[in-house]
Amino acid sequence: MGKVTASASPKQNGLLAEVLSGRAERLRWTRTPTARRYLFGYTLLAPAVLYVTLLVGAPFVFSLYLAMSDATVGDPVARFVGLENFRAAVETSVFYTAVRNTLVFTVGAGILKGLLGTTLAFLLVQPFKGRKFVRALVVIPFTLPVAVSVLGWKWMFDSQFSVINWALSRLHLIGAYGSPDWPVWLGQPALALASVMFVNVWRGFPFGAIVLLAGMTSVPPEIIEAAKVDGANFLQRFRMVIVPMIAPILFIGTAFDTVFTLSDLSIVYLLTNGGPDGATEILPTLAYNTGIRGGALGRGAAISLFLFPLLLPAMILLLRTLRRRQY
Amino acid sequence: MSDLDSIETDHSASRRRFLTVTGAGVAGASLLSMFDARQAPAQIKGTSLRMLIWSHYVPAYDVWFDDFTKKWGEKNGVNVRVDHIPHLELPARYAAEFAAGAGHDLMYFAGQILTGHYYKNLIDLSDLADGLGKKYGGWLESAKSAAQVGGRWYAIPDYFISIPVLYRKDLFASVGLGEPKSWEDLRNAARQLKPKGHPAGMQFSHCNDANHNWRGLMYCFGAKETDASGQNIAIDSKEMREALKFSKAMYEEGMTAEVFSWDDASDNRYLASGVACWIHDAISAYHSTRVTNPKVFEQTFVLPEVAGPAGLKWNVGEPNVWAVWKFSKNVPAAKEFIQALADSQKEAMQASLGYNMPFLKDQYKKPMPYLGNDPKLSTLQEQAQITAFFGFPGPMTPAAQEVLTTFIIPDMFTRVAREGDIEGTMKWGVGEIRRIYAKHKAT
Repeated sequence: MGKVTASASPKQNGLLAEVLSGRAERLRWTRTPTARRYLFGYTLLAPAVLYVTLLVGAPFVFSLYLAMSDATVGDPVARFVGLENFRAAVETSVFYTAVRNTLVFTVGAGILKGLLGTTLAFLLVQPFKGRKFVRALVVIPFTLPVAVSVLGWKWMFDSQFSVINWALSRLHLIGAYGSPDWPVWLGQPALALASVMFVNVWRGFPFGAIVLLAGMTSVPPEIIEAAKVDGANFLQRFRMVIVPMIAPILFIGTAFDTVFTLSDLSIVYLLTNGGPDGATEILPTLAYNTGIRGGALGRGAAISLFLFPLLLPAMILLLRTLRRRQY
Repeated sequence: MSDLDSIETDHSASRRRFLTVTGAGVAGASLLSMFDARQAPAQIKGTSLRMLIWSHYVPAYDVWFDDFTKKWGEKNGVNVRVDHIPHLELPARYAAEFAAGAGHDLMYFAGQILTGHYYKNLIDLSDLADGLGKKYGGWLESAKSAAQVGGRWYAIPDYFISIPVLYRKDLFASVGLGEPKSWEDLRNAARQLKPKGHPAGMQFSHCNDANHNWRGLMYCFGAKETDASGQNIAIDSKEMREALKFSKAMYEEGMTAEVFSWDDASDNRYLASGVACWIHDAISAYHSTRVTNPKVFEQTFVLPEVAGPAGLKWNVGEPNVWAVWKFSKNVPAAKEFIQALADSQKEAMQASLGYNMPFLKDQYKKPMPYLGNDPKLSTLQEQAQITAFFGFPGPMTPAAQEVLTTFIIPDMFTRVAREGDIEGTMKWGVGEIRRIYAKHKAT
């Protein structure tokens, strides 16, 4: 702060006094209860903002930088190449296979998880003996480490020792091992994609059920009873009473599940690594094999960023619908 | 190649015990005399050495290796820490360490050979490589492919894993066939034995073995991935088309659709189950069959490779090399350790049950450790003559590495086996490979 000197003109002195009085006003405001409340609120919010900035924002910006550079795993001094890596990605047919599979995988698994999760939630909300035990059982797929559960499925899908095939064979639904109708779960293109989707559904639908269950238990029973008295059947009660009341939870659950499914690398990587011949190739496996294992970081980052435009409209739609319902 | 650990059976405990006891016995008998042979310089005394290495397919080797490092550390006053991680996780680890500029003092490229990617950030180990070459009769030509960039050694080859032919002598004899000499013999055997419930198998999938096996067949047919410089692709050839045509016939006549779903361990199980008439795999399949199905093991024989139509024989192995980051805090100890390990190659090979094939010529003097004492494995003592690696005849450049990790070659064979469109597949595959090489030339 400058000194007020005798040599300053009256006009300058007037301005200075005005500035000082403004500052004093602001200083007074910071001591008010409102300001303290703001300060307290922002202090509480700061760790979350910091967390998101450091662990989500910074990596995202870094991946943008990588995607627009010719970076390789061993060359830190990368040149700016603009959209070249994106162009290189869309020039390959594997990329389109990966996009198609990613969409089928995400949408297909999402629908199945929604249906199964809803059914399971309705079953689990009913009172029955051993309900707590059953509720604990159904979350096991979701809580098991992905590597352990997927390796278990790998054995169940084994071309020679598949327990599924042996059971089907014993039931005379398929022939014996070696016969033409013996399914090769991870080897036939359509079956392979269905198998990886199935494992994703198996792992994910308990999460959907729990989210839905949490929402359903928050619906006051008297509202349901009132709907029953008004003659609403099961589907009407679900569609017109329960869903609108638990919509925010449903939207958040759907958003989480979509993000997790779209970016799920582990299941495909461990079961098929994208094979055979790209039948199960999805954007995360293609990005990983190109960027990390192949060393072409820039192109790997560009491939992974194609997930962003796929995800963004879905997230905007969900969050806007959610906000509209809140206000 | 496959993981012995991944074949879990009722006998796994006894197998592991067998392997562990073997490793421990070898270690105990030989380590003390080994260390007497060389005294490390005093400057490394009191220092620490952290190393990153994969988890070996043969658990006994890791037992031996850990014991070796412990005793080497004690003898030289170096505090050694060894981190074993699965080989598929190594590339992500290298990338993380490189980005952080910190990590292990000594590291290991296994599965993915990224010497060409990282060489600017690796210590030039040419002095060490030259010394080892002089001491042990020179390096195999294939060693340079994995470890040299621009004529300088940025890595030191440790060993490679060969991927030979494992065939059932009894089944071959049942249809009047003797030892197979060529791919045509293998095809013929599979054609005759498949109807009897004994098909053959090679992976048409996204796994390491698929990358090795189909390249092996390609090279035997005279097809090349690149020219000798590794800069220009050479796959668009008549020989490659012949290899694709042959593989389709071999699949249709002698294999089942199972091969499209296989991972690296599936062929081990196929052999051990008594179904396969032949497979093309590392000797882990041989060792695991010894424990899980002794009757099949008795009839399982091993050949380094079979010949293509013009008599060419190339086996595509999996190299493993040591490298040292420039940011390593203990380069002298890292180099001393590599030297000590190379000097102990005989014990290492014995501990690996003949799995670790040396890169130095003198180490092929017969009888080689373990292989020389097993009549069925002794054939592998000729492996040095026929070993090639991906990118052949060029070196393992970053472009060749990307072609490998994106499974373009196995996918070409898969497409032809399924759809039969050789020209369409060539157009697709050559186009994909050309794009990758063009991108690497541009950077």
